[in-house]
Amino acid sequence: MSALLAVENVTMRFGGLVALDNITFFMEKGSVLAVIGPNGAGKSTLFNVVTGVYRPTAGRVKFDGVDITGMPTHEVVRRGVARTFQSSRLFRDLSVLDNVIVGMHTRASAGVLDVLFRPAVARRELATAVEKAEALLRESSGPLYEQRYRPAGTLAQADRRRLEIARALASQPKLILLDEPSAGMDDAETDALVADIERLRAQHPELSVILIEHDMRVVEAFPEHVMCIDYGRLIAGGRFEAVRANPHVQEAYLGTAAADA
Amino acid sequence: MNHPASRVVPRAAAAAATTILLQISGAAFVYAILSAEEGWQVVALLGLLGFGFYLLERLPWINDVVVALLARVPVVTTATAAVIVLGFPFLVGSNTYILHLLIVAQLYAVLALALNFQLGSANIPNFATGASYGIGAYVSALLAVNFNVSFWLTLPVAALAATLFGFVIGIPCMRTRDTYLALVTIAFAVVVHQLLNNFEWTGGPNGLVGIPAPTLFGHSFADPIEVFGWTLPSQANFYYLAAAVVIIAVITARRLHESHIGLAWNALRADEMAAKAQGINVAWYKVLAFAVDAFLAAFAGTIYAFYVSYISPDNFTFLVSVTIMTMVIVGGMDNIFGVIVGAFLLTILPEKLRAFSDYRLLIFGVIVIGFLMIRPEGLFPQRLRHYGVER
Repeated sequence: MSALLAVENVTMRFGGLVALDNITFFMEKGSVLAVIGPNGAGKSTLFNVVTGVYRPTAGRVKFDGVDITGMPTHEVVRRGVARTFQSSRLFRDLSVLDNVIVGMHTRASAGVLDVLFRPAVARRELATAVEKAEALLRESSGPLYEQRYRPAGTLAQADRRRLEIARALASQPKLILLDEPSAGMDDAETDALVADIERLRAQHPELSVILIEHDMRVVEAFPEHVMCIDYGRLIAGGRFEAVRANPHVQEAYLGTAAADA
Repeated sequence: MNHPASRVVPRAAAAAATTILLQISGAAFVYAILSAEEGWQVVALLGLLGFGFYLLERLPWINDVVVALLARVPVVTTATAAVIVLGFPFLVGSNTYILHLLIVAQLYAVLALALNFQLGSANIPNFATGASYGIGAYVSALLAVNFNVSFWLTLPVAALAATLFGFVIGIPCMRTRDTYLALVTIAFAVVVHQLLNNFEWTGGPNGLVGIPAPTLFGHSFADPIEVFGWTLPSQANFYYLAAAVVIIAVITARRLHESHIGLAWNALRADEMAAKAQGINVAWYKVLAFAVDAFLAAFAGTIYAFYVSYISPDNFTFLVSVTIMTMVIVGGMDNIFGVIVGAFLLTILPEKLRAFSDYRLLIFGVIVIGFLMIRPEGLFPQRLRHYGVER
């Protein structure tokens, strides 16, 4: 049985700094993997390696049976990997609706010549995209549809996060990478986020999710697969309870003295 | 409901009347400023214009209402515009100076629309539009002078040659961004000017002379037009030709803007990293912007060459690129109408303010800095796209 995502012996060095040190893990279709670890442990670097922003110094990344190591980001996205960013990176001066339509970019088939000389074809395609985008916004838990003609930069924090997820879903990905989706959220918003992710999984049972999280309440909600990275090394992996009990993990988070206490 | 324009749903007849009235007053204003001779007339008209823009700034809903009105009766809008554009030379009569200004303004409008794909849609500061303009002019002129190729054939050939040039500068530019990208394009603009100046076969600093006037169905563009007993000076030929190219440029701009290509440009303008994460091939879209820019600029260049029948490297200096950039910034980034207004304003005003012609560059500099500080979005800011019935 082949995994949807296979990260094999990936090492990423920036000069003398080892950001990722021989990381190996596999992921099945439809599963959720939570990645935890202290700040600067290399979690976001891992996302950047998977999405082709960085080419790893050593090792391979395989997605859906294809070697995607060092492939340009737009190619990786086209193959079905979508992501959100730690500090939400919306297209602030575009409307909420346009943000989602841009998210469908990989689904657009009309080329430059079609747009220039067969406007009816291009217009029909865009009209379909508008409909789909509106449907995605209606599906979202927040009041995004009602705000679809507002510039994305004027949304409230929680709605921005929702919009980023809706935009990522627009490309109909097989794997979605969420980089600290709960950052800057209060308790109620975090609960809503967990509900959002659960709903997402119910709606798209085939979709796999990798989640970088600091908030253990979110991780606890998806306890099947958790892995902890520290100083670029994978120090623990398994179910949440086991990872939490792991002395290395406690040491990484709390320091040696606390772990001994 | 979110769109302010949807508050105003005028009846079609009222909308049509207002639309016609608006466009006629716009044309009347352009005519008035073009034919103003006395200093005080120019100042008064400029005052009126300034007051208009002040009103727009204070009461932004005017803009929304006007856009809604024009979109309500598209056929009337287009028909009125067509009648105005076709009829303008009849109004001007034998005043060739006004016609000349209008031709130059229209060519600049094409150039500004070309640059708008880059500067406005994708925020690529390209200072080489003047060079593409020059390449278009030289390619077509060389073909016509040396090989007797017809104007109508040189037009696409020059456009393709310039597009190729667009790719050539576009590709190295992908390795740089922002200020450095601007520097690379400045270098290209200077290099092209120097090459035109130093090559033997481009005529060196003397340029190319004796570019033959185009002919269409046996009618030479050097001859006056005679219709229904009216005689229009020969410049009217080029006026209509330039108008046709403006229309082509506007249609191109609209189609691209209202497609996923325009959206992709806007996305990479807002956040390149996030654009990549949506599957946008950022490098390709940047190069595409260079190519489209060069294509349209070459159209303008070809018409210019055949219009003045004499070109020299000094017509295509770095300054031309700066002028085009000023037009886009003043008119409004990523707003087609705004860019055209910018081109007309900055072509006509310097002519009307001849007394200050020595300070032309200084004035342009002050205008750009002033706009970037006070109103960086230009006179007519870009508008959010609206789809379907909301429009």
